[in-house]
Amino acid sequence: MNAEGLRARSRVLRAVRGWFDDHGYYEVPTPVLVPSPALEENLFAVEAGGGWLRTSPEFALKKVLAAGLPRIYEIAPCLRAREDGPWHAREFLMLEWYRAGAELDDLMDEVEQLVAVACLAVARPCPERWRRVTVAELFAEVLGIDLTTAGIDDLVPGETSWDHAFFRRWVDDIEPTLTGAVFVSDWPASQAALARVRTDRAWPTACRFEAYLEGVELANAFLELTDPVEQRRRFVAAGDARRDAGELPHPIDEALIDAVGRMPRTAGIALGLDRLVAAVSGAASIHPYRVAAVAGPTS
Amino acid sequence: MYETSDIRNGLKVEVDGKPWTITYFQFVKPGKGCAFTRTKMKNLINGSTLERTFKTGEKLEPAQVEEFSMQYLYEDGEFFHFMNTEDYSQVAIPVEAVGDTKNFLVEQMEVQVLFYKGNPVNIDLPNFVELQIAYCEPGVRGNTAQGATKTAEMSTGLTVNVPLFIENEEWLKIDTRTGEYVERVRK
Repeated sequence: MNAEGLRARSRVLRAVRGWFDDHGYYEVPTPVLVPSPALEENLFAVEAGGGWLRTSPEFALKKVLAAGLPRIYEIAPCLRAREDGPWHAREFLMLEWYRAGAELDDLMDEVEQLVAVACLAVARPCPERWRRVTVAELFAEVLGIDLTTAGIDDLVPGETSWDHAFFRRWVDDIEPTLTGAVFVSDWPASQAALARVRTDRAWPTACRFEAYLEGVELANAFLELTDPVEQRRRFVAAGDARRDAGELPHPIDEALIDAVGRMPRTAGIALGLDRLVAAVSGAASIHPYRVAAVAGPTS
Repeated sequence: MYETSDIRNGLKVEVDGKPWTITYFQFVKPGKGCAFTRTKMKNLINGSTLERTFKTGEKLEPAQVEEFSMQYLYEDGEFFHFMNTEDYSQVAIPVEAVGDTKNFLVEQMEVQVLFYKGNPVNIDLPNFVELQIAYCEPGVRGNTAQGATKTAEMSTGLTVNVPLFIENEEWLKIDTRTGEYVERVRK
């Protein structure tokens, strides 16, 4: 934490709220204490008060969408256990927004505008152009690997699962090459989480993109799944994967499954606000821009 | 065994059958992926570097290294002899293995000696040592011009750049990490 960092974050927060005001979004604060946290293999929630502290406001905001608000956002303090590092903190600010009727390209346009607004707020140069590229294109370009046909051994011989092999190559070889401003889309279908999957091509992909700014993963967007049967199937599968890994399988949030079936076709996105401030400021860590919370061993 | 959460700068691990010390680490976690720790490490024997990424849950083998405080006794042309300051046992390290470290060794000096599987592999010097000049040109009194230097040969064989006012046979404080002159020492 330092005074200049906190001033920068305050300016970005004000600018971001102004942008959402100007674009017809309602700000909707939702509960921090929730009955069920994210049900993903690699997210770890903090237990508290008979429930969990949210890892993101996604479930609550989808209930708001189903209740009839088509353009919403929240600047949400979120908590994720076991995440400490220069770009991670167990408690952090997440900016999430949802826009009914929008496509992923629309959200990319909005990210470009929000990043420009944030750059302006801290008087830093704005990215000149954003590259839009698919995950498979990056693997072909950087590694010469055809991801659409690659098996575990083509990625990392002996790795325990395809996703782990994928992420090892991603972390080791792909992510370090991502300079400038980049949208990376069409992720493997196994990493869809709450996104739709497109199956009209030979290699099924998640309707999902991530925004990177100077190598920092800034945001993750979904064309949201609105099929409650499929959503339940994925939660059960994620719960099984957690159990196999020796982790607690969180309960399924039935009100969310119901909301998924009633919400309109929507694109939604979660953006790390501390990361946004740090990345547009050209910093090497989020920590100067936030007040220290419970510190992990490596933060 | 170490967990990935044990990784710190200075942690000594065995990777690919060699001992390393961690010099850099960073927690990374793609949004929908598992967590990793990126590391850079330095080989404890030859100083070469290695980059390696560990997945959370992977185990790291501790390097079979031990470090002892030892006093440097003497050299006989073939070996440098050291004595363990706790149990007084002695160890002889070949001249080649001592390498450039010999430039900073003066008798009675206490150093940290690293043993890998029982063999001495590295001598860790204090950051600063005091060495005597064996030869340099006579000092130029009153010359405090910034940046003007001459070379001095130390008793250990090390050559350093020193200010012009330094006299022959003076003792100097030397930074062992850079091999550079720091200041005069009055003896």
